[in-house]
Amino acid sequence: MSRSVGHPADPGAPAAPHAAADAPPSRQTRRARLAAALHAAHRNYLHLFGIPDYERYLAHMTQAHPGEPRLSRREFCAHAIDRKYSRNGPRCC
Amino acid sequence: MTKITSVVVWIVVAAVGAFAFAALALGHGESVSAAWLVTAALAVYFIAYRFYGKYIAERVLQLDDSRVTPALRHNDGMDYVPTNKWVLYGHHFAAIAGAGPLVGPVLAAQMGYLPGTLWILAGVVVAGAVQDFIVLFASVRRDGKSLGEMIKMELGPVPGSLALVGVLAIMIIILAVLSLVVVKALTASPWGLFTIAATVPIALIMGVYMRVLRPGRVGEASAIGVVLLLASLVFGQTVANDPVWGPAFTLTGTQLAWALIGYGAVASSLPVWLMLAPRDYLSTFLKIGTVVALAIGIYVVAPPLAMPQTTRFLDGSGPVFAGALFPFLFITIACGAVSGFHSLISSGTTPKMIERESHMRLIGFGGMLAESFVAIMAICAACVLQPGVYFAMNAPAAVIGTTAAQAAQVISNWGFTITPDMIAQTAKDIGETTILSRAGGAPTLAVGMAQILAQAIGGKAMEALWYHFAILFEALFILTAVDAGTRVGRFMIQDMLGHVYRPLGNTELLPANFLATGLCVALWGYFLYQGVVDPLGGINTLWQLFGVGNQMLAGIALLLCSSVLVKMKRERYAWVTLVPTAWLLVTTLTAGIQKIFHSDPRIGFLALANKFSEAAAHGTVLAPAKSIGEMQRVAFNNYLDAAVCAVFVALVLAMCVFAIKICVQALRQAQPSAVEIPPLASAQALPA
Repeated sequence: MSRSVGHPADPGAPAAPHAAADAPPSRQTRRARLAAALHAAHRNYLHLFGIPDYERYLAHMTQAHPGEPRLSRREFCAHAIDRKYSRNGPRCC
Repeated sequence: MTKITSVVVWIVVAAVGAFAFAALALGHGESVSAAWLVTAALAVYFIAYRFYGKYIAERVLQLDDSRVTPALRHNDGMDYVPTNKWVLYGHHFAAIAGAGPLVGPVLAAQMGYLPGTLWILAGVVVAGAVQDFIVLFASVRRDGKSLGEMIKMELGPVPGSLALVGVLAIMIIILAVLSLVVVKALTASPWGLFTIAATVPIALIMGVYMRVLRPGRVGEASAIGVVLLLASLVFGQTVANDPVWGPAFTLTGTQLAWALIGYGAVASSLPVWLMLAPRDYLSTFLKIGTVVALAIGIYVVAPPLAMPQTTRFLDGSGPVFAGALFPFLFITIACGAVSGFHSLISSGTTPKMIERESHMRLIGFGGMLAESFVAIMAICAACVLQPGVYFAMNAPAAVIGTTAAQAAQVISNWGFTITPDMIAQTAKDIGETTILSRAGGAPTLAVGMAQILAQAIGGKAMEALWYHFAILFEALFILTAVDAGTRVGRFMIQDMLGHVYRPLGNTELLPANFLATGLCVALWGYFLYQGVVDPLGGINTLWQLFGVGNQMLAGIALLLCSSVLVKMKRERYAWVTLVPTAWLLVTTLTAGIQKIFHSDPRIGFLALANKFSEAAAHGTVLAPAKSIGEMQRVAFNNYLDAAVCAVFVALVLAMCVFAIKICVQALRQAQPSAVEIPPLASAQALPA
């Protein structure tokens, strides 16, 4: 079962380094942490505005349907936008 | 948080809220800062969320995180995606908040700031947030089913079909009234029209960019879009002052109405990626950005409320809309207090993205509190204006005349002192030629926002820019709603036509699509046109029709929620939904029946229709009509409005009967009979 991706508190968030809890973080770890935080922020930003998230789709496919053919970025985004707007519920008044 | 800190924190919140209310209530005779209004509202929201929201979550609904939500059950990386709860909160808020919470409170400000504020706060806690929360809950427990499907499942197929007819009727009225708001805002406003018109090519550029040039790079396309949008906003002033282009972008109401009708037909027939999707991204950015900016602005500037607590128009004699506080305040402010339309969103995309059941309190209940907060800010923006300016902008020309001198005289006679110079100066400050009779809420809100934001950034020199920014912000998401709503309406019409003649229901068939789109546009276009040419301003008719319809839908959604609770054998908690249901039924049925049968032609559709048709039969022309033909049209339109209103009343009464029947059956049964996905099945769906 895959949890939400891009969640800042998600232990499975990509590129999150495993720093030793007791040692002070080195410069490299700090930089990696910052990169991971920015990455998570960017993903959250995509989800907030309902923008298609291709990485999330890839992660999902890897986890749930390994080995199956995947849509390209172009196909995925086209498909996601068409589905979201074609028949979806109305925006509010 | 330890128990003691928690107790202390909540006592402090309660005290701050009480103090803010005291400041509002006791500041008689002198003006109170809008920041107090906002603070009082925030205190109410926090307390309601912490205590009532929690009560509903834990006792009434008994949310259970061990149940698997649709997002986890069907996780497909696309539609069904478990989403971080704060992200989903923002997403849900952007989907529910539109022009509704901005327009209603502005119109209701004619009664003073207090009645509207109190209804928004009481309404959201008791009715609005409860409805959104419980509909979301019901949908999550039913695999993300829509409101119509849930009514079919729980109340039966006939109520399900009736609800769909009701939703379509409300949608048509919403599209008409929202378009009318745009027409009122852009009439004879070349700067505004240019910026709005520019959003069309900007959206097309974005659409092509993210589909063809850099597929899938929505973020880049949006950045380009925002830059172009701001450029067009600034450039609009040059266009407006241009001797050739200025007049070219100066359109009358009827021209704009036709333009919008054409826009609706074309835009809703284009592929979604070309215009709807990019425009929706733009409007979502602006929406969230502006709401945050306005909240900060109100605290930084702390503008005094110029409008009195209550005005003499409580008695129903107001120029903006006719009708007394009860029941008309409660249908004028729909969104912000309780909006039936939210039940469609709460049973649309959002339930497919809920990660855990316990998140629903924040997203369903909390999301509605945020929309209510927008409505409170709209009241603030309208009430920081000088009341004279407010009435000059919102009273129809038939009442205040068409020149600043006439308007100033009429409004000063009501007791709101204003000079023709003040009216002219306000128009000049915002870069427009006139502010008179710009009903519909959007321009009033824009002037209020411009005055607040200009005090924070830019001063008087920036006021015109801020005004047009605010107009852009509102018009952009109204146009998105027109586009998306026409599409949804088209599908609903095709669905219905398909039952009559099968090929008409085929969404792949181009002629069938065109027919349904044409029908949908013709329906809302008719009401829009009627509103534009209505000498009484149109808004006071259409907005109330919309209010009745929207609150009726809320009543239907709450009837569903009550039935669900009873069928779950939680009838001892059913008061949570029955109390708001009862209130909505009482107010909307009273309002609906008064709108049809009231003997005052300012309120009753039939009275006005009869007055005009009788006079026409005698060959007399009544002002503001100018010919017998116009007289007959006014009469016909009012008969039509009465019929639409009657349909809403009949629908909600029928739903009431169905719901009572189902509840009585459920009460007799010993076992729960709600059609939920059982916890066992949801646990089995979990991979080990």
